[in-house]
Amino acid sequence: MCGHCGCGDVHEHVHADGTRHSHSHHGVHDHPVAVVELQTRILAKNDALAARNRAWFAGREVLALNLMSSPGAGKTTLLERTIRELRGQYDIGVLEGDQATTLDRDRIRAAGAPVVQVNTGTGCHLEADMVAHGLAELRPPVRSIVMIENVGNLVCPAMFDLGERAKVVILSVTEGEDKPLKYPHMFRAASLMLINKIDLLPHVDFDLARVSANAREVNPDMSVLRLSARTGEGIEQWYDWLRREWMAAGEATFA
Amino acid sequence: MHELALTQEIVAIVCQAAGEQRVRQVTLEIGQLTCVTPDAIEFCFEVVAKGTLAEGARLNIRRTSGEELMVTTMEVEEAI
Repeated sequence: MCGHCGCGDVHEHVHADGTRHSHSHHGVHDHPVAVVELQTRILAKNDALAARNRAWFAGREVLALNLMSSPGAGKTTLLERTIRELRGQYDIGVLEGDQATTLDRDRIRAAGAPVVQVNTGTGCHLEADMVAHGLAELRPPVRSIVMIENVGNLVCPAMFDLGERAKVVILSVTEGEDKPLKYPHMFRAASLMLINKIDLLPHVDFDLARVSANAREVNPDMSVLRLSARTGEGIEQWYDWLRREWMAAGEATFA
Repeated sequence: MHELALTQEIVAIVCQAAGEQRVRQVTLEIGQLTCVTPDAIEFCFEVVAKGTLAEGARLNIRRTSGEELMVTTMEVEEAI
């Protein structure tokens, strides 16, 4: 029994706003302790901002893609070729995420696309508010494509929704077939897997059938395409996929 | 190290709800299917909470089976 008020060790009441408090009168320093119900998702703020980005894209019928891979899988090389070869068909703008430097921005700019560098500093992934700031600077036109090149990392970017229409994961043949099994969150989150650098297949031990099987094991719904961003082999399938997504982005607004 | 970004969100959620009360304990639910390491959250929490109302608060992490990633409850010191 509590000496102060005659209640049990703990008593509970509900405030007018629905917050439930329970008090113990035997806390350190004699402070009564209240338990506050929060029930808040840790990613609630990011998800709300991502939803805002998604609405922004939808209102302008912009196709936004979140490109993810480990460092060196060929995201920037793929974008360079895509921008050069699809010039005249689509307006493509790029948000470049990197921890430091503007090297990739300079490469994309040289390929002929408007680009905004988003340096994450110590951050290992892009978050929805960084994308919102990047968009304010990039100002992509109606019916364009925004390629969001995430920080090279197969772990953290999978958790953070940016408001994109689809996540694309790029895996190069120099990396090993077991990546989808080792990093299941990334491959589960992606709609499309691009197997890049297939021009190097004669020189590496990489089993295409096995990587596809591993990918489908963690994500049966994911599409898988094989290409070389360097030589252009297989690139047309990627352009076909892009066109389908771009068409769908234009139809989604009033659906 | 996405745990650092998540911990910053946790401390922000807690401090906003705490108003001006000191936070004594925070309870989280972290599902097995999330790629979040509880040890890393604990490590970050001590650092991120420094200088806030949650400094020194005890972190209580419940492992659940799904994709939960929640701040469920906290204990605050009520003004006497």
